[in-house]
Amino acid sequence: MRGPGLRPGHRARLKQEFGLDKPVWQQYLTYMGNVFTGDFGTAFNGQPVTELMANAFPVTIRLTVVAILFEIVIGISLGVVTGLKRGRPVDTTVLLLTLVVLSVPTFVTGLLIQLLLGVKWGWIKPAVSPEATFDELIVPGLVLASVSLAYVTRLTRTSIAENKRADYVRTAVAKGLPRRRVISRHLLRNSLIPVVTFIGADVGALMGGAIATERIFNIHGVGYQLYQGIVRQSTQTVVGFVTVLVLVFLLANLIVDLLYAVLDPRIRYA
Amino acid sequence: MVRRLARPAPQPGLHRLRPGHPLPGGHRHLAVPDRLRRPLDCDLSKAQEGSQPGHPFGFNGQGCDVYTRTVYGARASIQVGVFATLGVALLGSVLGGLAGFFGGAWDGFLSRITDIFFAIPVVLGGLVLLSVVTSATVWPVIGFMVLLGWPQIARIARGSVITAKQNDYVQAARALGASNSRMLLRHITPNAVAPVIVVATIALGTYIALEATLSYLGVGLKPPTVSWGIDISSASQYIRNAPHMLLWPAGALAITVLAFIMLGDAVRDALDPKLR
Amino acid sequence: MLLEVRDLHVEFHTRDGVAKAVNGVNYSVDAGETLAVLGESGSGKSVTAQAVMGILDIPPGRISGGEILFQGQDLLTLKEDERRKIRGAKMAMIFQDALSSLNPVLSVGEQLGEMFVVHRGMSKKDSRAKAVELMDRVRIPAAKERVGQYPHQFSGGMRQRIMIAMALALEPELIIADEPTTALDVTVQAQVMDLLAELQRELNMGLILITHDLGVVADVADKIAVMYAGKIVEQAPVHEIYKAPAHPYTRGLLDSIPRLDQKGQALYAIKGLPPNLLAIPPGCSFNPRCPLAQDLCRTDEPPLYDVTESPVPRTSACHFWKECLHG
Repeated sequence: MRGPGLRPGHRARLKQEFGLDKPVWQQYLTYMGNVFTGDFGTAFNGQPVTELMANAFPVTIRLTVVAILFEIVIGISLGVVTGLKRGRPVDTTVLLLTLVVLSVPTFVTGLLIQLLLGVKWGWIKPAVSPEATFDELIVPGLVLASVSLAYVTRLTRTSIAENKRADYVRTAVAKGLPRRRVISRHLLRNSLIPVVTFIGADVGALMGGAIATERIFNIHGVGYQLYQGIVRQSTQTVVGFVTVLVLVFLLANLIVDLLYAVLDPRIRYA
Repeated sequence: MVRRLARPAPQPGLHRLRPGHPLPGGHRHLAVPDRLRRPLDCDLSKAQEGSQPGHPFGFNGQGCDVYTRTVYGARASIQVGVFATLGVALLGSVLGGLAGFFGGAWDGFLSRITDIFFAIPVVLGGLVLLSVVTSATVWPVIGFMVLLGWPQIARIARGSVITAKQNDYVQAARALGASNSRMLLRHITPNAVAPVIVVATIALGTYIALEATLSYLGVGLKPPTVSWGIDISSASQYIRNAPHMLLWPAGALAITVLAFIMLGDAVRDALDPKLR
Repeated sequence: MLLEVRDLHVEFHTRDGVAKAVNGVNYSVDAGETLAVLGESGSGKSVTAQAVMGILDIPPGRISGGEILFQGQDLLTLKEDERRKIRGAKMAMIFQDALSSLNPVLSVGEQLGEMFVVHRGMSKKDSRAKAVELMDRVRIPAAKERVGQYPHQFSGGMRQRIMIAMALALEPELIIADEPTTALDVTVQAQVMDLLAELQRELNMGLILITHDLGVVADVADKIAVMYAGKIVEQAPVHEIYKAPAHPYTRGLLDSIPRLDQKGQALYAIKGLPPNLLAIPPGCSFNPRCPLAQDLCRTDEPPLYDVTESPVPRTSACHFWKECLHG
């Protein structure tokens, strides 16, 4: 292990400099102490990990925002339509499509879309630039969202179809409300409670799960940095990013719990 | 050195098979086409070539037959899927079932443990844990999936055991003085096992997809193992010039996962119409 | 006549076949009058009411014949939007289970006020004041404070009062109450029923009271229609029917009420089960359960006979109504 030009005293001095002569628990405490003051150490190339984070997190947050927007707009709309028209051709078609999307792993979807849109038809650039602007992230966002999108569609569909038969919907119809109002104010409000909580929890999962998508489209976000950190065995990078991701995950779950109470008064006053 | 000398000399055709997957001897007498026998028998001069007679799917970047590799890839996928599912189902239902049956402190402890495991994003966890593994076999990947997968089954097993425990006939058996083990085996298990089977079957498909994802990221199975994930990963470099290398293993993967998810749906409909 | 249902037929298309839920029902209600519709579950009493309100699930439901005349106009010929404007404004419905019939995520004030917003174009603020007024009217204490609360924060009786308030909001001409007290505690049942009857008198509304509870009927109804297997088998003023029923099914219902003077004796029960609507027996649909059944009953479907011995108009769908009346 010892390099040919390393003098004995040199080794000891380096050890002392990086605190490696102290017991592991003490090293860990020092690291954690630094983390709490915002110092996550340095990455393999000498860049502070915080600097990597400052570059990577905005990109991944943009990507996640795009993905969540897809889930909300497409997932919920499809779910509502299929839930209302259960058993009709539209429903069967969408249901089959969601099954296919659910079965194809995200990285395969990503590669196929990159092949078709980026290489074959040239609609998009196959790789995203380092700036990673919103319009560049539309397709990667759709890819990242795909599995959750299919799940949101199914969840919304089941929830709508279940609530459609509820007594309070019948009451709303008997009150002479227009169909639009029955659906938007009475049916949707109730049906979307589980969907909104799923999407909330998905925020954390998407940010941590963007590794494959970011690798395919060469997006320099959290997943990319994590991947580099793991490949190059840069513990500082990995531990730093994972720590922040876990915090995001916990925060997302907390927000979901609060959101639940806002949406459902039965929980608020229980 | 002595041991190696004592071995019979490797036969010319066989040593190429060794590194990845030796075919079971029983298969050899089958009329398997020659190209099927040697997944790693590659010809660099044919690299990236497309479909041609005898090689319907063309060749990959190393000049290996894509058809052969796609067929062989099923082996690793099914192995991972089946063994991971078995491991998860066994570990999960034993731990969850016992927690549900005995309750108390053990139950509380187990619930907290499952909470912790649920908070780990699977791909991220795989990257961290599997990046230190150097073994080229399927077992580390299976072990990882069991490690992260069992809490899902444990929760379900716990729930259905608690439900089954409250049934009147179980209470009656208890009143008649049945022992704990007899109640668990004769009365509760048969009634609590259906939801576990349903969820495990659906999970099988997702484990296959997960294996491919991990292999694509370079932490799952490793060459010389033949796997769809590995092939998709290496094909992605050639996506501009030779997309066929990507499409065949990707298609095989998608169809397999879809098939297992649909099987899971069918099992669910057969075992528990209420879940529909 | 406020409402007249003529020869109404409703069927449901299910996987197992066509279920004939309503097979030629005729009844009418006048302003200020109370019609009680009596029958077991599955007799078609609720389906008829839903057809009148226009809230049947179509499909699987289908109105296959008949007319529903409301103030002289056949509702079945109206466009959906015209019918919608009648619903809630001119005829309203009170459901059995107020907890599930009220929207759990909207405050009662919003749900009451919605009537005024949609039908009268009122502002949200004004509609809230109207909601408080309505809650006062159905005697919910501290209405002003409770108007922002949610259904689950009210007791069962209070919730049913909110349902009544919602039905009465736009002072409709007709109220259909589908088992309004069944889900309530016995002590609260009378209060709610009294309130409903009082408001009906005050506003001179027609009331269709759907119930299987003969005790409730005796107090408030003017006339009774007894339904069996999607048909009205007997129709009569309330005191006449209690005095002497002209159909064996009505007799069976009356005999199965527990009475104090029968203490120690076995309680009467109509034998058998209500018919399967997919396969209603030929002849009189009650014949397999009827103590008076003859061969005639198994082959010929009885028409609605006028009970000629009665001083007031009443009808019975029994070949042997005379025997029943005197038996």
